[in-house]
Amino acid sequence: MAEVQQNSGGDGKKGAQKKMQIRVDFTPMVDMNMLLITFFMLCTTMIKSQTLTIALPSNEKVENQENMSQASADDAVTIIIDAKRKKGSLDVDSVNGHVVNEVYYYFGKPGGDAGIFGPGGTVLSENNNIQKSEFLSDEINAAGDHNARGIRQIIQQRNKDVLEEITKIKKKYAEGGFGSLETKADREAAQAAYDQAASEIRKNENLKKPVVIIKSTPQASFGSLVEILDEMQINSISKYQIDNMTRADSVMIIDYQNRNHE
Amino acid sequence: MGRVKIARKSTFIDMTAMSDVTVLLLTFFMLTSTFLQKEPTTVITPPSVSTEKVQETNFVQVLVSPEGKVWLTMNNDTSSSWSNEKMRMALLDKVSEIYNESHKNKVNFNVAQKQAFAKLGSFGVPLQQMGEFLDLADQQEGQTKMDKWLSGEDENPNHITGIPVSWNSDENTLNEFQMWMKALRQTENDNLAQAIKDGTGVAIKADVNTSFDIIHMVMDNLQTIHMNKFTFLTALKAGE
Repeated sequence: MAEVQQNSGGDGKKGAQKKMQIRVDFTPMVDMNMLLITFFMLCTTMIKSQTLTIALPSNEKVENQENMSQASADDAVTIIIDAKRKKGSLDVDSVNGHVVNEVYYYFGKPGGDAGIFGPGGTVLSENNNIQKSEFLSDEINAAGDHNARGIRQIIQQRNKDVLEEITKIKKKYAEGGFGSLETKADREAAQAAYDQAASEIRKNENLKKPVVIIKSTPQASFGSLVEILDEMQINSISKYQIDNMTRADSVMIIDYQNRNHE
Repeated sequence: MGRVKIARKSTFIDMTAMSDVTVLLLTFFMLTSTFLQKEPTTVITPPSVSTEKVQETNFVQVLVSPEGKVWLTMNNDTSSSWSNEKMRMALLDKVSEIYNESHKNKVNFNVAQKQAFAKLGSFGVPLQQMGEFLDLADQQEGQTKMDKWLSGEDENPNHITGIPVSWNSDENTLNEFQMWMKALRQTENDNLAQAIKDGTGVAIKADVNTSFDIIHMVMDNLQTIHMNKFTFLTALKAGE
């Protein structure tokens, strides 16, 4: 390819030029190209980052107490993220180097209806309704079913009504109930109809829905906050908020740890 | 017995095809590449299931280091009347105005300093040292010195890295980080102001292992100046 053959005019003539082959050696060119490719490969970002939108409540004091939307104790689920400790220092995952986090949760009010504090501010351990869980990914059995574990299982149990409805429309979508899935345009239309239906279910006031209050201890990692916000998305929780730890929360965690000798 | 003659073969390998392939690859990488921005600190964003793509323009990135230092990076819509340069100049004017309202030790910037600021990528030094920082741009190896200052590798112990930020819930005594964020809203760039209102205008980028305490402080700072909606930058989670 990289050679040019020069044909001499008539063969056998006197003073005929020699047949000459001109070859161009492309090896240095390839070397240089490889270097440039390496440079560009190392200097580029192919993957665009994703974003997670969050909205915090306004922290202005609400003048009128009646205007405050109070989550009823029945629906409230409080989740507190904490970093796992290993003999004084934080426990770090040996595979990905992320801080290992664990979660505490309780339903309703801290300490139940009776409250966690006794007369004179003593802690009533018997009322402590805090429980501990972990972030775990789904367990997939031989049949290919996903079984939620850890905190996801707990959230799913509380949000059963909504998730059942969502499963129904998911099935409907797969069967073509929101329009055909043949072409790309069809799929997009069906997806839009599905999203609309899913959003209506999440907003439906007749379904029993939990209100999740997310709290975090100072040492928990940013990754765990994103992880718990992800769980809200995975489990179709429509009402959740990020809140500050209260004294009752801290007291309950310490009490829990004392009783379980951690 | 006749000796078997082994024909001498040329060892010349034709590299043309190889060269073609490498040029193609090179073209591909050159056209698709967007260069990594040099950032004062390297963070690994946490994985998330969210598939929303990050905005291309009209957002301010708040880079938070695990130690709680904060830097800002502007990403403006260059097609509109607000270029990055113009926006940064307006921002510097505005922030010094806000700062001078509440501080005796006033800050003022000359034209050269403003132009140096307009060319910055990420920035994050206290306003009192900003003048000194911007003067570096005209010096020899100024860029290297500025980068070193921003990433905290400077030998000079007086050079403070990061925009000063602290717990503050009082709107009347803003810290410098809050002043910058407030100034962003007050430059007459409507696109950015709208994006901030929608929640896409402020993107917080922090490391997965940064403690909640620090993130909470940044969120609380934003809440105080009524920026209740913002985004976290995340990476795509594999599986699930």
